[in-house]
Amino acid sequence: MELLFLPLLPYLAWLLWTALRHPIPLSYNWRSLWQRKVGTLSTAGAIAVVVAIFVVVLSLAQGISSAFVSSGRADQVVVLRPNARVELNSSLERDRARILKSSPLVAWDSLGPLASAECLTVKLLELADGSGSTNVLFRGLEPAGVRMRSQVRLVEGRWFRPNLPELVLPLKMKDRFRDIALGRTFTFNGLNWTVVGLFDAGSSAFDSEVWTDVETLMHAHRRISYNAMLVRLQAPEKIPVFVKAIEDDKRLKLEGKPEAAYFAQQTEAGKPIQILGQMITVILTVGAIFAAMNTMFAAVASRTPEIGTLRALGFRRVEILASFQWEALMLCALGGVAGAAMALSFNGIRTGTTNFETFSDVGFAFTVTPALMLEGFGFSLLMGVLGGFPPAWRASRIPVTDAMKGG
Amino acid sequence: MNGEAIIRCEGIAKSYFRDSLEIPVLQGLDLEIPRGGYFALMGPSGSGKTTLLNLIAGIDRPTGGSLEVCGYRLNDLDDDELAGWRAIHVGFIFQNYNLVPVLNAFENVELPLLLQPLSRAQRRARVLEALALVNLEDRMWNFPRQLSGGQEQRVAIARAIVSDPRILVADEPTGALDAKNAEEVMALLERLNQDLGKTILLVTHDPKAAHHARVQIHLEKGVLDRTVEVNR
Repeated sequence: MELLFLPLLPYLAWLLWTALRHPIPLSYNWRSLWQRKVGTLSTAGAIAVVVAIFVVVLSLAQGISSAFVSSGRADQVVVLRPNARVELNSSLERDRARILKSSPLVAWDSLGPLASAECLTVKLLELADGSGSTNVLFRGLEPAGVRMRSQVRLVEGRWFRPNLPELVLPLKMKDRFRDIALGRTFTFNGLNWTVVGLFDAGSSAFDSEVWTDVETLMHAHRRISYNAMLVRLQAPEKIPVFVKAIEDDKRLKLEGKPEAAYFAQQTEAGKPIQILGQMITVILTVGAIFAAMNTMFAAVASRTPEIGTLRALGFRRVEILASFQWEALMLCALGGVAGAAMALSFNGIRTGTTNFETFSDVGFAFTVTPALMLEGFGFSLLMGVLGGFPPAWRASRIPVTDAMKGG
Repeated sequence: MNGEAIIRCEGIAKSYFRDSLEIPVLQGLDLEIPRGGYFALMGPSGSGKTTLLNLIAGIDRPTGGSLEVCGYRLNDLDDDELAGWRAIHVGFIFQNYNLVPVLNAFENVELPLLLQPLSRAQRRARVLEALALVNLEDRMWNFPRQLSGGQEQRVAIARAIVSDPRILVADEPTGALDAKNAEEVMALLERLNQDLGKTILLVTHDPKAAHHARVQIHLEKGVLDRTVEVNR
């Protein structure tokens, strides 16, 4: 976006200068727009829709990014098999987990070392809207794993107990999946799993995971090794030391990734939506630019005698160009403000997509931030510059005598 | 001609081109108009009177000859210089008033002053003075649609004189007015000529309007046919 504006900066600076120095009053443009209410509002409406889509698409990416970024802590490390991009593709034997826990760099709380060996799998759950099922990530944790996710808070029921087929689900899954409630039973791998609690993970990626006891989950899947381990270090500065230590230790041969970086890498999950959204936005933008151009060409055509009069009075071509360009900017800015406001109504709405790293569902909320709204508004101005320039140029080039005769 | 010439045309020619066809409108016309003169350009349609007016007002360019107005050789000025020259030296009065419909009377009159280095207060004083001269101070917040034709033309005259130009050009200024309003407008122009010393160049078909001028210039097929001094 910024790159698109960069080549236009001198032109925008010049426009500002003309508005300050040689003013065909901006009230002239504003009133002219208002005089053609229907055309103005319909064009502004089209631009508003494009801006709203633009902001909503960005807010999707922002929502996914927020979900993942808020999942990681600066002092924690995810330990994986070398070259495993995600926990699901990794494996970690029990003896290695024991060695990791005994590292002097690992932080402790009153209950023991803050390190959780974890097992992950995906299961199909039915969607609430009846459109089918989707994969959901099931995470088996040790008790420390719950304590290490400080953003996760139990809101109903209780936490799962060791060695029992008990599940704790995110409260936010209730909107997206069918029959999510305390006491509900799921049957898989020969066990009946009961929902004993609901948690809130503060809109982090954990709001898309089902949690259970790691040993029970491994037993049900006849697994002998964990997938990964989450380790909290005594201080964020210890991360490079710890990572190097586990890489160099011949008994381990493991890779450590800072938890924040690990989740940031997963924001790639939003890329397909973002790319699709951007493609749609580009197509709509071209349409909106032509709509703005068409409206402004109509304005120039209907006001050609006015243009002639202004030129006769002594206004130069550049002042006519600037005036009509300002009018196009006002028109598109109107759409920009309306579009940003429309997008705001999406803020907080939850939806989900497939994380192609884990092939499981990741839930997130549309996150419309002031920065995104400002970006949408800037986008409308870009449409104003591109759509307004040809008509403004045309207006400035009509010979005075022709203009006074009506073009 | 008596007095110093403010407009001097020497061998002025103007042709238009339709495809490759040249259509001559003015053919080597010589004319001098003294400072403070009041001239009416007359002639049948197509005789070149409006073209001559446009050339003298600097909104069109001759294809031949030399044109000097207010001490400037207009042939030598580029487009922007011509625009700047018009802003200072020429006031325009049009048949259909050509007021900007979305601006009120005050704002319409103020337009030419936006091109001059004046403060807001100075502009306001000049606009009020111009509106007072055409007796429309009480209608200054009215938009053109809220004014009668005669009032609109008076606002247009106020706009033409607000920047104190030396020349006023008027193209059929009474063409869209009834007899009473036309007479009022012509009386106003006469007053601007006599009291303020404005040089007025008027294009008209209307003999009554032309009678207000001191000299009538008759054009015929792009050449000067005759000049008539009006006896009143």
